[in-house]
Amino acid sequence: MKKLIAICSIGCAAVLALAACGGGGGNREQNTVDELVEKYGYQWTDNSKPILNAEGAKKISFSVYSSKNTSADDYNDMKIMETLFEQTNVNVQWENVSESSYTDQKTLKLSKPDGLDAIYHAGLTPEEISQYADRGRILPISDYLQYMPNFSKILNDRPDIKRQITNVDDGKIYTLPRVEEMGLKPYPNLLFLNKTWTKKAIEEGNVDLGIAKSEVDSKLVDGLSLNADQMAALLTYFKNNDMNGNGNASDERPLSFVSQNWQGNQCDLFGMFGINDNPDHRIIKNGQVTYTYLEEGYKDAVQFIYEWVKNGLIDKVSFEQTQDSFLANGKSGEGVTAAADIRKGEKYGAFYWWESKTVVTDPDNYICCAPLKGPKNFNGKDYSNCQTVCVANTPEIDAGELVFFTKVPNIEVLLTYFDRYYMPEISAQINYGPIGIAFEEEKENGKLVPKQETGGKTADEIRLKNAPLGICYLTETEWENTVQMEERAQLRLDRLKKYVYPYVTQEKLGYKVEPIPNLQFTIAEQDKMDRYSAAIETQMANLTKFLYNGVSDSDWTKYIATLNGAGVGIEEVRKVYQAAYDRIVNGN
Amino acid sequence: MEADFFKDGPSAEAAPIPAEADPAKPDVATDEKTPLGKRIRDSFFARNFRKNWTYLLFLIPAVVVTIIFAYVPMYGLLIAFQDFMPGDNIWDGRWIGFENFTKFFSDPMFWPYMGNTFLLCILGFIIGFPLPILVAVMLHTTKNKKLSKILQTIFNGPHFISLVVLVGMLYLFFGRYGLVNNIIESMGGERFSFFLSEGVFRPMYILSSNWQDFGWSSIIYLAALSGVEQAQHEAATIDGASRVQRILHVDLPAIMPIISVMLIMSIGGLMGVGYEKVLLMQTEGNISTSEIIATYVYKQGILKAKAGYATAIGLFNSVINLVLLIIANTASKRFSENSLF
Amino acid sequence: MENPALENEVMQTPPAPAADMRQNKPRRRRVRETPGDRAYYIITYILLGLLTLIVLYPLWFVVVASFSSAEAVFAGKVFLWPVDIDFSGYAKCFERSDIWIGYANTVWYTASYTLLSVVFTLSAAWALSRKSLPFRKFFMIFFTITMFFGGGLIPFYNVVSDLGMLNTPFAVILPGTVSAWNLFMAKTFFQTGVPDSIVEAAELDGANRLRLFVSVIVPISAPIIAVLTLYYAIGQWNSYFNAKLFLTNRNLYPLQVVLTDILTAAESSAGGDSMYENMLLANQLKYVTVIISSLPVFCLYPFVQKYFAQGVLVGSLKD
Repeated sequence: MKKLIAICSIGCAAVLALAACGGGGGNREQNTVDELVEKYGYQWTDNSKPILNAEGAKKISFSVYSSKNTSADDYNDMKIMETLFEQTNVNVQWENVSESSYTDQKTLKLSKPDGLDAIYHAGLTPEEISQYADRGRILPISDYLQYMPNFSKILNDRPDIKRQITNVDDGKIYTLPRVEEMGLKPYPNLLFLNKTWTKKAIEEGNVDLGIAKSEVDSKLVDGLSLNADQMAALLTYFKNNDMNGNGNASDERPLSFVSQNWQGNQCDLFGMFGINDNPDHRIIKNGQVTYTYLEEGYKDAVQFIYEWVKNGLIDKVSFEQTQDSFLANGKSGEGVTAAADIRKGEKYGAFYWWESKTVVTDPDNYICCAPLKGPKNFNGKDYSNCQTVCVANTPEIDAGELVFFTKVPNIEVLLTYFDRYYMPEISAQINYGPIGIAFEEEKENGKLVPKQETGGKTADEIRLKNAPLGICYLTETEWENTVQMEERAQLRLDRLKKYVYPYVTQEKLGYKVEPIPNLQFTIAEQDKMDRYSAAIETQMANLTKFLYNGVSDSDWTKYIATLNGAGVGIEEVRKVYQAAYDRIVNGN
Repeated sequence: MEADFFKDGPSAEAAPIPAEADPAKPDVATDEKTPLGKRIRDSFFARNFRKNWTYLLFLIPAVVVTIIFAYVPMYGLLIAFQDFMPGDNIWDGRWIGFENFTKFFSDPMFWPYMGNTFLLCILGFIIGFPLPILVAVMLHTTKNKKLSKILQTIFNGPHFISLVVLVGMLYLFFGRYGLVNNIIESMGGERFSFFLSEGVFRPMYILSSNWQDFGWSSIIYLAALSGVEQAQHEAATIDGASRVQRILHVDLPAIMPIISVMLIMSIGGLMGVGYEKVLLMQTEGNISTSEIIATYVYKQGILKAKAGYATAIGLFNSVINLVLLIIANTASKRFSENSLF
Repeated sequence: MENPALENEVMQTPPAPAADMRQNKPRRRRVRETPGDRAYYIITYILLGLLTLIVLYPLWFVVVASFSSAEAVFAGKVFLWPVDIDFSGYAKCFERSDIWIGYANTVWYTASYTLLSVVFTLSAAWALSRKSLPFRKFFMIFFTITMFFGGGLIPFYNVVSDLGMLNTPFAVILPGTVSAWNLFMAKTFFQTGVPDSIVEAAELDGANRLRLFVSVIVPISAPIIAVLTLYYAIGQWNSYFNAKLFLTNRNLYPLQVVLTDILTAAESSAGGDSMYENMLLANQLKYVTVIISSLPVFCLYPFVQKYFAQGVLVGSLKD
């Protein structure tokens, strides 16, 4: 054992020696703000003028570390970056790595910045942010708000955003957020139904959907509203018949989704029982953090859905498949190359997804339905008035997008530079690509419009190649005044407005339901949650299992008792969430 | 026990006891016998050293590389006793004693995770250890050497398949609409969701791992078997020994030393299962059997940036492995002459 | 390092006393098979046949899937032969010039790493296998500890960076040249195969230790050298972690990193129209990368194999 100690001390000595030779590096010119103003014409008040003068453009530079999509150009070569340099005279050098390398190198760079000034696309979790903040590794941006007019204005206009990114331990802000509010993310599912199949079911199978054979064409349109019993009858017909006419009656998948996926998941099914479930099983109801599975009707929902799984109405593969195989199966089929045979390739009778275009070959054949209504009588209860949807906790504000290291010389200049990213037109170009490439040079009604002549490239390809993405501020105001929403997003928004929004209003439900926003926890609170997180995760997994294995009334009672038991700590964790949520709502 | 463990036959006598320790302690000289005995040993050691020190030169490259890349970074283990974030200076770290350890032990999932890890590893070991030996013996005894070589090459193939592809293929073959289920259905059975069943996780994990590595691991035994003397086989054949008897009495004893060492090292690495493949195979359906210490460490250390906590758990795991190795080595030494040390 | 000519010499020419015995090999005696033997062989062949099927089919599937459209693979239509033959995965890989740079880098990283590793390991194992090695137990413990305890990523990174090896091939080649596992394997081979008497005899002849090692021990160690070469070389060939951590210069990337890059490029898309096509490509690429990266080494295996299949072995020196 003595030897062990000897070895260790040799090792330690060697490390100390190595550490002594390392370090250093920061030999850049450090200026006070007054010196910056005097020598390099630093100004931060006027957005239309350069931040530095020509001298400053030469003498002062920054180095920003960032992951980038492999299809994207090097950020140093991007047109938007050149434009920004022309407009600001701030010289920012980008150090790009691939996204997979970034995951491996992130902690290393945070522990040893080696001359880096900031990390873009940092993707830090709230936990990481508060820990690094606690250690003084990252810069408290809120101490420099005077140099950031645009960001300050956002914080003033939107106290909710301010609270979502403010560290609760010291009340400071350590990150610059990405805000892209389209109103799409909180409601991640839409129900699509195969029109041809449904028509066939009514005409040939006499399935009663409350639609007479004569009015099939006029009634089978977007917005169709079915109740659970009608849907069950329809799905049963899909299951038992060779709907796609390829001679095989068993390759039809009546209802599909990808269980627990962030969109296109099973959660809308719980809407039939008046429950706004989501993959976390946690929402805000009337201002209270609520676990959905503790609500009235959840057990009935689970047992009802299990019936559908057991009877093959919901394809069991929905619980094991990945998004990739879900998509591939939506399109493949025998001889789908010939347009006339497209129908033969169809396997999906109904499915939940974000939209239908990527899922099936012929999206026109799939109508977008209103949420399903509950069954008339299940377990002796009437759910026929229940009709709502999943409310997901996927905020449209990414809190940890950009962080700065402490002790960066002339940091005020860099902050002012990134502050310009929040100007509406810059935000749009950061997010979609530069004017001239992604947008027309000429505006329409004062709004940036997508470029028509793209040389055969899709909008996505252009965006991936030319837009860095990252920090931006695009909200309702910007969609109305500055930039036109993409066609695809617009289509989805229209659908949500018609078939989803009306079913989650307070008037309809009798209570107010909201997704959980970004929450900030104190380090003490995080420790408390950590103690239970593994146990809760393991127990929660059972909820999905019940959907395909079934659960009896007594087992359910037992399960709920376990959840509420001391070892799982569900109520403790709920209180932590509630406290954090109250801080967001009420301010500190 | 520890002293016993490192005892190494006759050369244990030559254990390096620094000679200069003696004059520094004059009070020992009152005992007549000790210094005499010591002197004899010292001189034995000294003689041996003078004669054999050149062997040390052979070790230099390996030792230097090991010190630089394994021992110097080992100061990182200290963070197991700290509330550490990347970027903190280890030397003025926030010492918290054994808090990371007690936190892990008091996690309600500690025992389930230990149990899962242990079961997965022990079952994997029971199948995974003998299989390559068996395969090596079978390949070695085939009469057609050409065929044997071709088979060896084929058996190595799976080793080159990346984990992502391996697990992808498992999903394709064992998925609900996969090959296996198609066969089951065509034989009149009912489709079975392998990935949603918690009972299937362990067999599927273990068998696929063995599928991937049995050929690769048999290489070392094949090499050992090729050294078995032909003369011994011939003598045994003349004595009328059957093929199986010759395997049991000639081949296996000849490769027993390497089997023993591989056994000891495998037991020492028993709990060292990695997280990548388990994570790839994990679903909500099997999480109650598939969550193991390694995946927990990954989720805590990488995803939640709790470096100190993750290191503490890793250290705990290493200590278990080390203890297992010591037990295996001691047992092996007691029941056979073969041991690692 | 291993000289086939030298080995053949040891095998076929009588002078070396060690090889002498092997030359006395009597003519192959034809012994009649007993029914028991026949049963053993039948069972062996059946088992090997089964194993071959179990191993071969998935391997075949990887090959077939790399040529088939991912859509057909997902739909379970690919079974024995390629369906909707599609070379876009291969095209995607070979349209990139960096894949050839990757190949070249990997080849020379692997060659130099393997050379160093085998030399370091073999010589250390030889020393450790000698009972008379001073401080032997200490060194055994010294290497054993590295099997269990490591300092983690950050200290490791700091060491490599402080040695100035960031963005140099050394960062990929030097760390991990000595694996305790391989070292102990080789040590066991020497221990059981080369008794001290041989060494002492050679020493009486006046051979110094280095000469003894190079001219007597190494030539008769073909099997363990072959095993070490294989284990080290393939380990390095397949590795990407150190490269990903320490290299940012794309011209230094080994093949595995280039392939991962191609794969992630296909996987990542901002959604939308091209997403589905990218997803299919990415899934096909998974199979393609396995083929591209493993085919060359797979073909090399038989050449290494012959060194232990026909090998002279240390064990045969036992008296």
